Amino acid sequence: MLKHLFTLIWNRKRANALLIVEIFLAFVVLFVVGSLLVYRWQNYRAPLGFAYEQVWVVDLDPGMQPKAERYATQQQVIQRIKSLPGVRAVTRTSSNTPFSNSHNSSDINRPGEHIRRPASNVYDLDDAAGDVLSIPVEEGRWFDRRDDGALVAVISHDMKELLFPNETALGKLVEANGNRRIVGVTAPYRADGDFADPKQAIFLRNGLQDTTFDHLQTLLLRVQPGAGGALEKQISADIRAIGAGWSSNITPLSEAREKQMKTVLTPLVALVITCVFLIVNVALGLFGVLWQTINQRRSEIGLRRAIGASAGGISGQILGEILVVATFGLALGLLAAAQFPLLGVLGVRVGVYLTAMALAAGLVYLLTVVCALYPSRLAAGIQPAVALREE
Amino acid sequence: MQTSAAPVLQLTDIEKIYQTKTIETVALHRINLTIGRGEFVSIMGPSGCGKSTLLSLMGLLDEPTHGTVAVDGRPVQSYSDKELAGLRNLKIGFVFQSYHLINDLAVLDNVELPLLYRPGLSGKDRRQRALAALDKVGLSARTNHFPSQLSGGQRQRVAIARALAGAPEIILADEPTGNLDSVMGEEIMDLLLGLNREHGTTIVMVTHDEQQALKTQRLIRLFDGSQVG
Ligand SMILES: Nc1ncnc2c1ncn2[C@@H]1O[C@H](COP(=O)(O)OP(=O)(O)O)[C@@H](O)[C@H]1O
Ligand SMILES: [Mg+2]
Repeated sequence: MLKHLFTLIWNRKRANALLIVEIFLAFVVLFVVGSLLVYRWQNYRAPLGFAYEQVWVVDLDPGMQPKAERYATQQQVIQRIKSLPGVRAVTRTSSNTPFSNSHNSSDINRPGEHIRRPASNVYDLDDAAGDVLSIPVEEGRWFDRRDDGALVAVISHDMKELLFPNETALGKLVEANGNRRIVGVTAPYRADGDFADPKQAIFLRNGLQDTTFDHLQTLLLRVQPGAGGALEKQISADIRAIGAGWSSNITPLSEAREKQMKTVLTPLVALVITCVFLIVNVALGLFGVLWQTINQRRSEIGLRRAIGASAGGISGQILGEILVVATFGLALGLLAAAQFPLLGVLGVRVGVYLTAMALAAGLVYLLTVVCALYPSRLAAGIQPAVALREE
Repeated sequence: MQTSAAPVLQLTDIEKIYQTKTIETVALHRINLTIGRGEFVSIMGPSGCGKSTLLSLMGLLDEPTHGTVAVDGRPVQSYSDKELAGLRNLKIGFVFQSYHLINDLAVLDNVELPLLYRPGLSGKDRRQRALAALDKVGLSARTNHFPSQLSGGQRQRVAIARALAGAPEIILADEPTGNLDSVMGEEIMDLLLGLNREHGTTIVMVTHDEQQALKTQRLIRLFDGSQVG
């Protein structure tokens, strides 16, 4: 029977060409959109490499205060905030805090090496950052007082893979504002948010000896669970009281995260809506063509009933035919889709393409079956005696 | 299997009424008919008198409003759609005035069609049977043609080959020569007569041609849905 369906569809290839093209297009659209969605989804499922709950970002603005006084004032502010009962830990950091969309990237190499590599994110932090952000350390440790007087760095898993693929990174040197010794390797760190790829990251220690205010004017606080508006107001007031003309802007990381997710999700949602419209159009087209085909084939269906097809056999045949047509369209679509990973069009992992192909193919089959269900029942309901007397 | 005395087809007290919204048409009224094994019966009557309706009841394509149809002595009204389809496939071959060939299938594929609905046949078996049937109607040289490339007479011979491919006991032919000129009509008639004579195939044929009817063993006349002799 399958061979018969192939013969029938091959002989009617001109009539089926339109359907094949429609299915091909539907598949390609689903595949492309699917690839983006799968990519985002897989990233979303991966750990961030830090904890954002109960972490607040405090952006400090020193106003017109002379530069030389700023560091001292900031230290006073930190001491004051640390002493508040709702605050567990405070760290001084560069402004590229998680979800901030602010970046400080640079080519990081091993000393003396001159290889062009993808740029890395550079984070300036101090000893408390590991606790504030609960950054999991895979090897070695986060920096601490033991590193006083030395130049050290912690690198992320991805940077370790890039610079030290087959060896341990601990104790090795990297070139980042001088040669720094690596004391720890963290899990993949994704400060760019839930939907972003992990990018190699390096954390540079700023010890007590680092008395600049510039580049380190942001504070990250870990607060007690349940801490809220009251603490926020208290901190703002304290900052104003300590530094003449100082002001601050306090944002929980969870809020920053939501805002950032929205900026990624909004275009995605728009894309999905467009895609749904397109697919609905294709579905209506399929449905219409199938319906029309059934009406044109009444006499053939009557004949098939006469020579031994049951009603169920007829609807099975109609479904079978559209599935064969869909398979032709999918075969073409897969050929097109295979070019994406080969040419690296969307720049996502090969596994993402494969998953998207499987998803798109499954959806296309589902779509064709759903569109063919009613026409096939219509075909099954054709009375052979009536259909055969027409003409 | 069945006793040879049982008639191939038996219609008892058949009534067929077509009910549409506005009108009720009595297409057949009190028909009692027995078709014996190996008989060649012709049916005649004016247009609209119920000949095609009668044939579609015999072919199990439709159900009577009242009365019973029995095949090999077994009434079929309790059969499921699937069982009826199987019975049609196995026992009955149809030939229509307008051939009803599938235009997008080559001659050989058209002839193989009934065998596709018969389980347990290999592709090779089907091909051989279809070729043998085409040989019987003298169209061995046209297996790869498409219906549109054939004359009316040739098309009807393909349709007969299709009916023959399944080796049915009964052939139901509804005005098989109605669209053909007299020479081609003659050919078809000879073919049917040969089948009946040599293979003992039971044939029920609707015709408008008295000459053809005279060549058959029995003539049933219908008028306005009733049997008139
Ligand atoms: N499906 C149907 N619905 C309504 N009326 C029908 C239907 N089929 C046949 N008829 C009517 O039944 C009568 C017999 O038709 P038919 O058997 O085709 O006659 P014949 O083949 O002798 O010309 C006609 O009056 C026809 O109009
Ligand atoms: Mg008729």
